[in-house]
Amino acid sequence: MVEVFQQIINGIAIGGVYVLIALGLTIVFGILGIAHFAHGSVSMFGGYLTFFFVTGWGIPLLLAILLSLLVGMVLGVLIELLAYRPVRDANHINAFIVALGLTMMVEGLNLELFGHEQVVIPTDLTRVFDIGGVTIPELRLYVILAAAFLIFAMTVFVEKTKTGQAIRAVAENRDAAILMGVNVNTIPLVVFAISTALGVCAGVMVGSLFAIAPGIGEGLVVKGFAVLILGGLGSIPGAVVGGLVLGITEALAAGFISSAYKDVIAFVVMISVLLFRPQGLMGKS
Amino acid sequence: MTRNRTFILYGLALLGFVLLPQLLAVKYYLHLSVLALIWVIAAQGQNLIQGYTGYVSIVQAGFMGIGAYSTALMGIHFDLPVWLTIALAPFVTAFFALLTGYPSLRVKGHYFAIVTLAFNMVIFIVLMNFHELTQGEAGITGIPKPGGKDGLFNWRDRETYYYFVLILATLMTGLAALIVRSRIGQILIAIRQNEDLVGAIGIAAWKYKLFAFVTSAMFAGLAGAVYAHYQSFINPEIFGIAQSLDAILAVIIGGSGTIAGPIVGAFFVVFLPEYLRFADSFRLILYGLVLVLATIFMPRGIAGVAKDLLAKLPNRRT
Repeated sequence: MVEVFQQIINGIAIGGVYVLIALGLTIVFGILGIAHFAHGSVSMFGGYLTFFFVTGWGIPLLLAILLSLLVGMVLGVLIELLAYRPVRDANHINAFIVALGLTMMVEGLNLELFGHEQVVIPTDLTRVFDIGGVTIPELRLYVILAAAFLIFAMTVFVEKTKTGQAIRAVAENRDAAILMGVNVNTIPLVVFAISTALGVCAGVMVGSLFAIAPGIGEGLVVKGFAVLILGGLGSIPGAVVGGLVLGITEALAAGFISSAYKDVIAFVVMISVLLFRPQGLMGKS
Repeated sequence: MTRNRTFILYGLALLGFVLLPQLLAVKYYLHLSVLALIWVIAAQGQNLIQGYTGYVSIVQAGFMGIGAYSTALMGIHFDLPVWLTIALAPFVTAFFALLTGYPSLRVKGHYFAIVTLAFNMVIFIVLMNFHELTQGEAGITGIPKPGGKDGLFNWRDRETYYYFVLILATLMTGLAALIVRSRIGQILIAIRQNEDLVGAIGIAAWKYKLFAFVTSAMFAGLAGAVYAHYQSFINPEIFGIAQSLDAILAVIIGGSGTIAGPIVGAFFVVFLPEYLRFADSFRLILYGLVLVLATIFMPRGIAGVAKDLLAKLPNRRT
């Protein structure tokens, strides 16, 4: 039983990362109707960058994360302006193909700047808590808390602020939003900045919990989309539930069935949900 | 463009392909041409679901893998003749496509793409980890060439195999053209243009989508099988998501929703990386850049641009 709790804790940590990725994807999808496939690679870019700032320049971790957030947000804004905006009015397939091309470019950029070696962001959070036999490494606990805080902050931002209101208005009805004086040219930039910031946070978490290596980003973005499909599109609670379900399923599968096939099992869960609830766990039918 | 002119163009293109081995001085280019023709088959399939039906599927290379492994494994374990296993491979692939197509076609647009991509990951993970069957990363070696040693044709000869693949690619291109011109093809195009309307006039769109998905998988299965016997060696490496993206790129660059497009696109995705070799690690960046720029500035692909240019030629009546 202790082993089960142990895996659930592990699952919540990785699930939190999935939720952050999924939130970044869902906000972009809601506003622009784009499946921003490059999101995983951009997130990894943020993780790499933090690693580089910490180990290369000796910048303290928190400051390094802050700098990476800024660079990441600029990159996100540039991606929207240069790549997605030109295909905004074209068929949605085109935007998706652009996203695939962007993925290759960012993956290539990561390889060119940071090399093939896998990297781990060093932290000095090495204490381990022991609660009734379940061990929780300090780092894992902070990751869970940070993810929870970011989810909360994002919810408040979208629900309570003026900009958040504008974002929801554009998502709901673009034309009406224009008539109400919402600037639909700046909203996508804000959305991409937020989305990328969440992605960079997820990238830093992956980089400190596990490791960053070529190809990890693509796997992560697929998980992010799987979370959206599981939870239901455009729903923040759906993304949270979906992310935790996926993370915990994976951790349990890795712990008790087979770690080689954990992703297969996670996808089987996603497909089963699709068969019985095409609208997702929390989606409206 | 008149119908006659189209036929003349395809005839000339076919003649060009027939003469190609005689024109190529470098043997390596012949090898690349065989690969490109195999990709023509896969890309024609991809075009059915992506170009005509409007559903981007990211599992074409995974299905090629199923075709390749099934022909190789049937040969090894059941001792079946090569021709038979090549012919059966598309049907094995179709079985898996049916299994995966039904749940994934319940979601639309981008989400369909993501679900198919997840399938490609699953196929890749299974090929990598199911050692007893697939021998994992090391792959399967010594896959026999079709035909005996003393048959009419020497299949070990690259040129012979080129003509074999050329015939297959021509037949499959013809089959794709027939499908597209049939009533089914017209419904597929209608689904791309307005799926709700198709449903509203009482057509069960999901049946047609499933048909397009399974057919495209069969094209991929055949391409994979032909590839396996050409290379005599397969491993999971070449059936990953990157290669599925190549199939998408072939359709987009060549011209989505045209019959000529996948032919042009397949040669493009096989030859371009060779020419980009000089760029080394920048290759991926350049490749992605080509994809982005082509989608923004040339959304109808090379075939689309060529069609416009041809239409501008004076239409002489003789």
